Amino acid sequence: MKSTILAIVLGLAGATNARAADRPQRNYFVYVCAESDDTVHKLRYGPSGLAEVKSISVGAFPAETEGPHGITVSPNGRYWFLSIAHGRPFGSIHKFDTTDDEWLGDVTVGMFPATLSISPSTGLLFAVNFDLHGDMKPSSISVVETSTMTEVERIDVGIMPHGSRMNAKGTRLYSVNMMSDSLVEIDTFKFEVSRTLSLFDSAEDEDLLGRMSMKVKPTWATAPTPENRIYVAGNGDNVIYEIDLVAWKVARKLDAGDGMGPYNLEVTSDGKLLIATYKSGAYVAIWDLTLGEELARIKTTRRIPHGVAVSDDDKYAFVTLEGVGGEPGTVEVYDLASQERVAVADVGKQAGGIIFWKGAQ
Amino acid sequence: MKQTAIVLILLFVSVSVWAQEEPAEPRLTLEVEPSELNLKVGEKATLVATVLDRDGNIVERPVVFFSRRRRSVSINPAGNVEAYRPGEHVLIAMLPKDPEDLHRRADALLTVEIPVTIPNPPAASVEFVELPSAFYAGTVAPIETRVTDTAGANRPDVEVRLETSDESIASLDELGSLSFKKAGMVRITAHAESVRGHIDIDVAADPVTSFELIASGDDVRTGDVVFFEAKALDVNGKAVPDYPVQFATYARPEAGIIAAGATAQIDEDGAFVAERPGLHTIVAVAGNHVARKTIKARARNVRKEIEVLGQGPVRDRHTSDLWVWEAPDGRDYAMTGTWGADGHAYFWDVTEPNSIQLVDTVRVDARTVNDVKITEDGATAIISREGASNRKNGLVILDVSNPTDGVRVIARYDDQLNGGVHNIFIHEGHVYALSNGRRYDIISIEDPTNPYRVGRFELDTPGHGVHDVWVVDGIAYSSNWYDGVVAVDVGGGGQGGAPNNPVKLGSYAYPSGWNHAAFPYKSQSTGKFYAFAGDEAFPYPKDDRPGAPPQRAAGWIHVIEWDEWDEPKEVARYQVPEAGSHNLWVEDDVLYIGYYGGGLRVVDISGELRGDLYKQGREIAFWHPYDPKSVTPNAPNVWGVQPYKGTIFLADFTSGLWAVKLVEPKKRFMGEPTN
Repeated sequence: MKSTILAIVLGLAGATNARAADRPQRNYFVYVCAESDDTVHKLRYGPSGLAEVKSISVGAFPAETEGPHGITVSPNGRYWFLSIAHGRPFGSIHKFDTTDDEWLGDVTVGMFPATLSISPSTGLLFAVNFDLHGDMKPSSISVVETSTMTEVERIDVGIMPHGSRMNAKGTRLYSVNMMSDSLVEIDTFKFEVSRTLSLFDSAEDEDLLGRMSMKVKPTWATAPTPENRIYVAGNGDNVIYEIDLVAWKVARKLDAGDGMGPYNLEVTSDGKLLIATYKSGAYVAIWDLTLGEELARIKTTRRIPHGVAVSDDDKYAFVTLEGVGGEPGTVEVYDLASQERVAVADVGKQAGGIIFWKGAQ
Repeated sequence: MKQTAIVLILLFVSVSVWAQEEPAEPRLTLEVEPSELNLKVGEKATLVATVLDRDGNIVERPVVFFSRRRRSVSINPAGNVEAYRPGEHVLIAMLPKDPEDLHRRADALLTVEIPVTIPNPPAASVEFVELPSAFYAGTVAPIETRVTDTAGANRPDVEVRLETSDESIASLDELGSLSFKKAGMVRITAHAESVRGHIDIDVAADPVTSFELIASGDDVRTGDVVFFEAKALDVNGKAVPDYPVQFATYARPEAGIIAAGATAQIDEDGAFVAERPGLHTIVAVAGNHVARKTIKARARNVRKEIEVLGQGPVRDRHTSDLWVWEAPDGRDYAMTGTWGADGHAYFWDVTEPNSIQLVDTVRVDARTVNDVKITEDGATAIISREGASNRKNGLVILDVSNPTDGVRVIARYDDQLNGGVHNIFIHEGHVYALSNGRRYDIISIEDPTNPYRVGRFELDTPGHGVHDVWVVDGIAYSSNWYDGVVAVDVGGGGQGGAPNNPVKLGSYAYPSGWNHAAFPYKSQSTGKFYAFAGDEAFPYPKDDRPGAPPQRAAGWIHVIEWDEWDEPKEVARYQVPEAGSHNLWVEDDVLYIGYYGGGLRVVDISGELRGDLYKQGREIAFWHPYDPKSVTPNAPNVWGVQPYKGTIFLADFTSGLWAVKLVEPKKRFMGEPTN
């Protein structure tokens, strides 16, 4: 670990809900998936603290755990979309209205659909078919037309495609393949892989998508920063990779430290801060991307941190914690200025997918 | 392709709609070319939308396309249309007020409807099917036809008009029944659209001189199947082949039964079963011949009551499945799983069912231990894992040779089972373990400390899934939702199957697609082989209020007579109308069902089975495990059941393990004579 990490905040135990005076004047809303309870939780963080607004039951079979996993909100904020991992056996994407959280439609996609992204240019939704439970072979990304909830295309990618995010214009999707140790760039207009990059040996050969590697085990990619950088979590080698999108190569490696297992990443819109969940170590880390330094590392209140979403004004990061067994899932809020946890609330079991919906007065 | 995936479209003009008063918008028109479509099934076309301002200049605005019947005709954002099903359909082109809002429910500034006509393919042939080998004057025969269109599909929607060449020999009524009036040759022609087919019939003179109805029994109980045979003999006393007979039945129910509703059923093959006690008359009609026979059906009188012996309460989490067995230590135990909780399996000493004792608890990394099974020697247990924190799931193998002294984990196995194992079965040294609801893997546990996969079975139908598997005598019976019950030779089917070479023997599916569990059983009283196939379905809305009972289920038990692998036949059902079935067990010609909110159900399945077993008075007992302290107080939701050494053990989702037994009923007045 680097010696420059001086500002580590270690082991802040217990819930640290901010004092009323420190709470924001604005309300922030997030949606959170509880994968082992088949619920989605709508939470508000604002002047009255962090609280659940609503718990929404999802899925069709109360006797089966269907696993709501990935979640996103349409660019105009009117709809939220949810991937349900387990079907018979294929997973599905579901559409809900953010106004009343009523179910509007669904479409069956591939095996274990995970993260979701929507292009603001076309309205098309891209769902990675994680295929966590199948044979180790290349999978795909489903493209869904969200007005009619119709799958219009599947784009072949690598083995176990997982965390993906879209650029601001919605023209490119960046997605990682966990077991191919690779990053792909999807042209969202042409529905094809435009570039591939091996995180293990910097190869750019498309064949690497079908190659088992499992050294880096990349789990997530961020959206591009204004400086044309994206960041990839190397869950297997404890490295956060900075990718130069112009040169299409690894520009820098940020060492998260042994045993940390960085999992999900999000950058602020100005590209200055990166918030990472360390799944194995049970920490949330905040990185200064200009300095390449970890500004804070904060022990989470529960095991297995999972998702992270940053508010639209870059002031707060919302993090989910899965927990283990019968423990509830948890949502934590971090103040990115003070780099402290400011609120905690429990939700359903195995809190995972999270998406920021809106900020409002 | 695919730059066309962007929704902006320009070009020809044919349909115009002017925008209404929209102060912030210039007046625009939306034009779509072509304005209507006429496509064959499978044919494709492209719609092109253009937005024009009042001066006729093209305005670059996104247009949203969608279909009102996307399973009949689809359209993608680029305007590409594909026809799937015949009919009159409508596509919509919509100009949203907000150019950023590209959803079908966006506020529309303009919309244009594009009618799409997809005609049915024309009929290619019409043929007569299932015709008897002979026709006789004086008889009536329904005529079945089949229309096939040019796409090769059967077309029951196409009207078929029949025509007879000689009304004096054969006449037709409006419903297609053919009455043969006298002997002679006649041609029957079927017309379907522009095609026709015909059959030449040689109508024989009625040879029957003797018509008699014979019953296989005349003093029966409700639910007993009586086979009626109509004997049509000629002057020489020989049976007349294919002489068409129709059966009907009516009854005089037992005194005191008023407004009885249906009292019995009789199938086309003459199998009769009474639902109400009383005098039942069966009528056989064949041409001008009529025969009647009246039999008495007594109340079945199998009703028992339930006496509660004991409870192993689990009140802080949901209980899933159970297994009861005798361990090598000579004592009787039950194992129960837990659901949506903390990965526990509980071990109970049930040697004295009226004093159930919790003897050990095993906790694994899981949220649900859905299924629990024991090897035939009683020494090894396998539990399934779902919701593991590392997502590896799979199986955990336990030493249960002496649960009182402690249950010990001896192995874990998760290779290619990390999607979660929902159900398992153990048979002759192998575990049949469902993998992610997609297939079942067959894993050797001959050495329980060293499990390894030897085979797997997966269907190849589109979108297939599997929910449960049960293995008896070397044949695995899996329950596969829409694909129904599938029988697979894994060593006992005589088709070369083995655990490392599973060979499909046959399958039976039913329309609802609800097949969730199946119990294979050879009837002790008849020797017939049945698969009792249980549904799982939740068509009712969920009640999300705090403390609300578990969601109400639907579905029933389908009784499939399956003596030949390629000839399964669904002959009977057991259905509690207001509840839904879950797991089941059959032993000694008695069916035991965990019927979710319908509680425990015990059903007499002795003898031949036809029709609605519930209405026939075959239900022996029902019971609801009310527990005011359960996870949801007084909300019975029976998950599974197992009869064992005279006791019925059941696992209830909200209250844990129960032991009950059947006892003689007290006399009760139920308002009228009952079964």
